[in-house]
Amino acid sequence: MEALLDKNRLKDWIAALDGWEAYAPARQDGIWSYQPAGDNPELNHPNTPQPPKGFAFPQREIFFKFEQVKGEAPRLTAVSPAPTFRVVFGVRPCDGRAVPRMDRVFSDHVDDGYYQARRDGLAYVGLACNTPPSRHCFCQSVGGSPVSTDGLDVLLTDLGERYFVAAVTDTGKALMQAAGALLAKPGAAERKEVARLHAAAVAQPQRGVNDAAAAPAKLKAGFDSPLWEELARACIGCGICTFLCPTCHCFDINDEVTGTVPLKGSRVRTWDSCQFPDFTMHSSGHNPRDTLGSRLRQRVSHKFRYFHENFGMHQCTGCGRCVSECPVGIDIVRVVNEIAGSV
Amino acid sequence: MGDNIYLPQLARVAHIKEEVAGERAIKTFRLEFDNGGGFEHECGQCAMLSIFGRGESMISIASSPLIRDYKQFSIMRVGRVTSAFHELAVGDVVGIRGPYGNSFPVDAWRGKNLVFIGGGCGLAPIWPVIQTAVAQRADFREITVFYGGRSPRDIMYRAELEKLRGAVDVHLSVDKAEEGWDAFCGFVPANLMAKQPAPDNAIAITCGPPIMIKYVIENLRSLGFKDEQIYTTIENKMKCGLGKCGRCNVGKDYVCVKGPVYSWAELKELPAEY
Amino acid sequence: MIDLNALRTQAADILETGEVGAVIGWRRGSRGMAAEPVAIVAPEEAASLVWDPTCFHNLALYLVEERKKPAQRQVHGGKPIAIVAKGCDARAVTVLLQENHFGRDDVYVIGVSCEGTGVLDERKLAQVLPGVEPDGAAFDGDNFVFATSEGERRVPAREAMMDRCLECRNAHPKLNNVVFGEETPRDFDAPFAALKRFEQRPAAERWQFWQRQFERCIRCFACRSVCPMCYCDECVVDSINLVVTPETTAAEKADRVRWIERSASRADNIGYHMTRALHLAGRCVDCGECERVCPVNIPLRLLNNKMEREAREAFGYEPGASIDLPALVASFRDDDPGQFIR
Repeated sequence: MEALLDKNRLKDWIAALDGWEAYAPARQDGIWSYQPAGDNPELNHPNTPQPPKGFAFPQREIFFKFEQVKGEAPRLTAVSPAPTFRVVFGVRPCDGRAVPRMDRVFSDHVDDGYYQARRDGLAYVGLACNTPPSRHCFCQSVGGSPVSTDGLDVLLTDLGERYFVAAVTDTGKALMQAAGALLAKPGAAERKEVARLHAAAVAQPQRGVNDAAAAPAKLKAGFDSPLWEELARACIGCGICTFLCPTCHCFDINDEVTGTVPLKGSRVRTWDSCQFPDFTMHSSGHNPRDTLGSRLRQRVSHKFRYFHENFGMHQCTGCGRCVSECPVGIDIVRVVNEIAGSV
Repeated sequence: MGDNIYLPQLARVAHIKEEVAGERAIKTFRLEFDNGGGFEHECGQCAMLSIFGRGESMISIASSPLIRDYKQFSIMRVGRVTSAFHELAVGDVVGIRGPYGNSFPVDAWRGKNLVFIGGGCGLAPIWPVIQTAVAQRADFREITVFYGGRSPRDIMYRAELEKLRGAVDVHLSVDKAEEGWDAFCGFVPANLMAKQPAPDNAIAITCGPPIMIKYVIENLRSLGFKDEQIYTTIENKMKCGLGKCGRCNVGKDYVCVKGPVYSWAELKELPAEY
Repeated sequence: MIDLNALRTQAADILETGEVGAVIGWRRGSRGMAAEPVAIVAPEEAASLVWDPTCFHNLALYLVEERKKPAQRQVHGGKPIAIVAKGCDARAVTVLLQENHFGRDDVYVIGVSCEGTGVLDERKLAQVLPGVEPDGAAFDGDNFVFATSEGERRVPAREAMMDRCLECRNAHPKLNNVVFGEETPRDFDAPFAALKRFEQRPAAERWQFWQRQFERCIRCFACRSVCPMCYCDECVVDSINLVVTPETTAAEKADRVRWIERSASRADNIGYHMTRALHLAGRCVDCGECERVCPVNIPLRLLNNKMEREAREAFGYEPGASIDLPALVASFRDDDPGQFIR
């Protein structure tokens, strides 16, 4: 299903999406982030520093509340996400490609009901990147593309005054059907223009990982390389690269106590990061990954080796956030290329 | 929402036994479920135990799967949650979810000699296998248990170990000589070399402090055990137990799902990040 | 103007003679045009050192690398470590000296004067030159000069400079073994100018402002990790499980108080940032790195500036001014009006 939408009618399409909460990137306090779509969302954003992963995997999730009078059995009350239908506009294709990767993690072995419940009510309306890529983009070298539809329900292509709207999934079709007469039928000229723009976007030069297919074997061969410590020397051990990554999914579980007599509180999931020194620390004090280099190796190997060994695809989608936002310029592309080049 | 995989069942502490006293005390807890709760498990699997307000800890199930009335856990006091366990009294209620992880391939070991080598609190994870093998004694050939602690007071399951004698060859040891101790003095790997168990048609199962495991494996190999004949368990920090949170990730494996039981042939293929 | 070759020669010389074991400086990185921190140990590596408006980082951080281990010293056989330092970075080294992390002889400061400019604010640049991603940046005295695929682009320095540089108190490193560049007059904003402007807003509006800012915090701890003064073994936010050694007892681990939960909730985020700001009072040198690295753009300098000004107004204290002064919270004056201390 394909159609044309006047840009100034985007707000009308959103208004027509009965029962859906709509979100779109907005610039607030000097920073782009996904916000409830306002009166007139314009999809003219560079990629947001934070990916849309929090819609399905929020930074904080309450699993259940507990209450216990001393000497009595505890009472547990499970907390489930309220069923909502949310549609996120303006998702870039790299972040779209993160969606099936996260889906794999949270459904592998056993379904995570919290992720699933949120994911079930989510739709992603992507926006093709047909302006030149940022210096940090490397989607094409990891199997993606500036016009990829992977993980999206609808892909928009900016034609200047109008969007070319293409459904990717049945949910996407339903979203488009809700637009009714707002959508116009595209002609051969528009289709040709979209094809031209997409081809031009793909032809834009990008930096990248030299040979992503060879990366798993190369990283395995280079596991003991002294280069890891060398490349991590400037690392300050913060969580930016992982928290801003669209596919990092590690988390912590803690009890947050809000009252002591009777005992009251919640068991809560929060994002965690393999870059924090206490992430792998055993209760005994033994830490299997006790150096910056070993933690950089874990992050990079997970993206380019372990995930591939398990699921046959790279976890990294080349969005470039861990590069552009790193306080000291640690560059995953350079790390993969240098390790691969050293073996 | 479907099943809440993070919501624990409740279980009552039916019995507490103090195994080892001191700074690294070990207590054994028998947990019972009310109203048809509970779950079945296999030898080597773990469960996530909770004390509400303190948090969760992944602990090996130390009772045999043949026992259905309760689950037993031997817990060393090392941190926030385990310390809270040591404060519990009989009748207290805790949370439990599981079972998690893979298991020892006990069925494949029938008709073989079994050599268990444990140290410290590392007897607990292999105890269900010992119990099962003894209960089904006729299915197995020679069974030998090596176990050692720092001192005689650090020997856990002392009475149960004595009861095994007759059905099982039990070789106890303590690290340092002490008056009144007439069994082996020295480290567990040395006791193993002194007794020289034969590798023919045998499986060796070891668990204990990492340094002990390292030397036990070296010694087993020098005795002629093949990598495929040696089994151990690894225990990384875990949060979810379901292969999602990433804490226990070693190489491609989430230990809470693919482990904790590994043959040495499998384990040596993983990065040594445990 | 700084003669980069002279700086490189100096670095090579002190490595060659063995006067220092390593030089911490900047080199060209692969993250766009930005420089990146580097520690060099061989004289021939000195040729890779750079100095330009993308040398944002406060390298004093690496003198306390891995949290409190005077790291590079251990690696380099007990020899002093040289550090290339801007004015603010040198003030940070001064604070670390005041706090006895290492002795004056353990560190060799290669000062670089920012002269009439400062370092680049990449977020401002994205607004000033939208869509342009330059290949390099330089100073020309008044302007930033950007090399782009369509030739040079000049931007008046004050339009794309970090806020911290606009309000800089001392762009010429006072603490130094050698210094490059001149101490030149600067004509930007007065110190605390942004704070003063902010304080004129009504209290309710400020509270709203901060609530919105802290709501956004994702607790990546980059502000803490990048701060040379945030070197505590045990941080108030890590009371769950950090600093466990084989010697830590079970009771110590069990009894550790969790002042601030791991959840990035507004209340816990405020607890974190307020605690951090208070712990930086009289210590923060306004290098502004916390604000630069914040991925969600929380204006942390406003908080730290506030504390800095309190220390200045109450005690006439200027953090990092001189190694001969004691640290603010470690000093006492006979004429102190507080009775509690007597």
